[in-house]
Amino acid sequence: MIEVSHEEAFSELAAVALDSVSKEVSESVRAHAALCPECGPELAAMEETAAMLGHLVPPAPMSPGRKAGIRSRLVMRARSEAQSITPNATTPTFGRPDISRGVASLTGLGHKTGPQRELGESRGITTGRASSPSRGFNWVAFAASIALVAVSAQLFRVTTELNSMRARIAEADTTTPVAAPVAESLEAKIAEKDAMIAAMSGPDVMVVPLMTQSTRQTMGRMTWNRASNDWIMVTYGLKQPRSGMTYQVWLVTDTARISAGTFRPDKDGRTMMRASYALPRDALRAVAITEEPEGGASSPTGPMVISGSA
Amino acid sequence: MIRRMAEADETALGALYDQWSRSLYSLVVHLLKDADEAEDVVEETFWQAWRKASTYEPSKGAVSTWLLTIGRRKALDRLRAQKRRREDSVKSERIFADIPSSEPDPSRSAEGSDVREQVRAAIRELPDEQREVLELGYFSGLSQTEIADATGQPLGTVKTRMRLAMQKLREPLSMHRGVTE
Repeated sequence: MIEVSHEEAFSELAAVALDSVSKEVSESVRAHAALCPECGPELAAMEETAAMLGHLVPPAPMSPGRKAGIRSRLVMRARSEAQSITPNATTPTFGRPDISRGVASLTGLGHKTGPQRELGESRGITTGRASSPSRGFNWVAFAASIALVAVSAQLFRVTTELNSMRARIAEADTTTPVAAPVAESLEAKIAEKDAMIAAMSGPDVMVVPLMTQSTRQTMGRMTWNRASNDWIMVTYGLKQPRSGMTYQVWLVTDTARISAGTFRPDKDGRTMMRASYALPRDALRAVAITEEPEGGASSPTGPMVISGSA
Repeated sequence: MIRRMAEADETALGALYDQWSRSLYSLVVHLLKDADEAEDVVEETFWQAWRKASTYEPSKGAVSTWLLTIGRRKALDRLRAQKRRREDSVKSERIFADIPSSEPDPSRSAEGSDVREQVRAAIRELPDEQREVLELGYFSGLSQTEIADATGQPLGTVKTRMRLAMQKLREPLSMHRGVTE
């Protein structure tokens, strides 16, 4: 931060309000204004004036689906966070799911040395299906401990299932020999699904929309919780890969293209994949899905199906 | 509404979103020229509002001001990170140019249209050179130095024009502070 006099700060207030100065100057002027009885109110008034300019923009159409999607994600994130703050909160009442169940067929791609070392240690999740290694990797920085798993229900369905499970637990008489194992099983499922919701919520979550190259149609999302290093990918409307082929997920950094596994969408084109993998917070540049030979490839070779910039 | 958000009432966040998402989206998609990126910025803006609700001070501005300021800043951060601002594109989008005296807008509420028209009226009163500096600063996200380069004017001139423009707009637009709440 640089030192600014009152006169210098005052002369820059309009530019600071319009964000037309460097970050350094802005921070210095704001620091001065926070303590200055003259500059503080003046800056607030200037910012108010600047924001009014935003009303000049012609209204842009926003599709109902897009608008509703943002709203539901926001409310769900807020509800999840509120409940994590209040552990004894009552049972949540999430809205109805807008995507039905989808099951992915997943294959891990083996353990490699090299570029992945700079990406840090990864850890698997216990609900994952065993991975089968593939052959001939040269640089793929995929660690075997990344356990991409098929999740048997999509996220929005998870929330309603939670409600149902909690109700069933409440109804169960856990003192009877028959009911106790049922309750334990349900509790385990709830814990698993709670973990999924937590992975997709919070201030450290980055969402990468996945779009087709030609039409820019959004057909999925990759959610990365940079605090917990949980990754969840959802796709919808994807065609089945050609015979003998599969889809492969790539995490693209400046130095590597990291295979994150292969998958096959369900008959409705839906997929949900979950992984745990440590990546530096600023390393991700893009996420891409390519069509590759069954079992996966060591580097992207097939056509890009969908992708998104981080 | 903001107070309820600060008390972790997520229905208040939904209500805030219902009220202001369209205005925010319009601004952000205008800046980014990409609906999907705009969607992300809108979501992150409301999420920041949720997380920072307890720090919101009504005395420092209307809720809409707060949201538009956050959203615009996030959009500009993206533009700057991607170095997507180009002079040619900057010059092709002139929000202030040819502002008509009246433009019926059935897609907006009467109240919203009134605010928009009042802002337009205030802009109309500015000299062209001040409008240009304001437009390049607000809608194209250019720094004063970049504006000086783009317009061929000395930096000091750009600073003066920007300051004068904002001072002239301040009084007429301050009347609408309550309207945008």
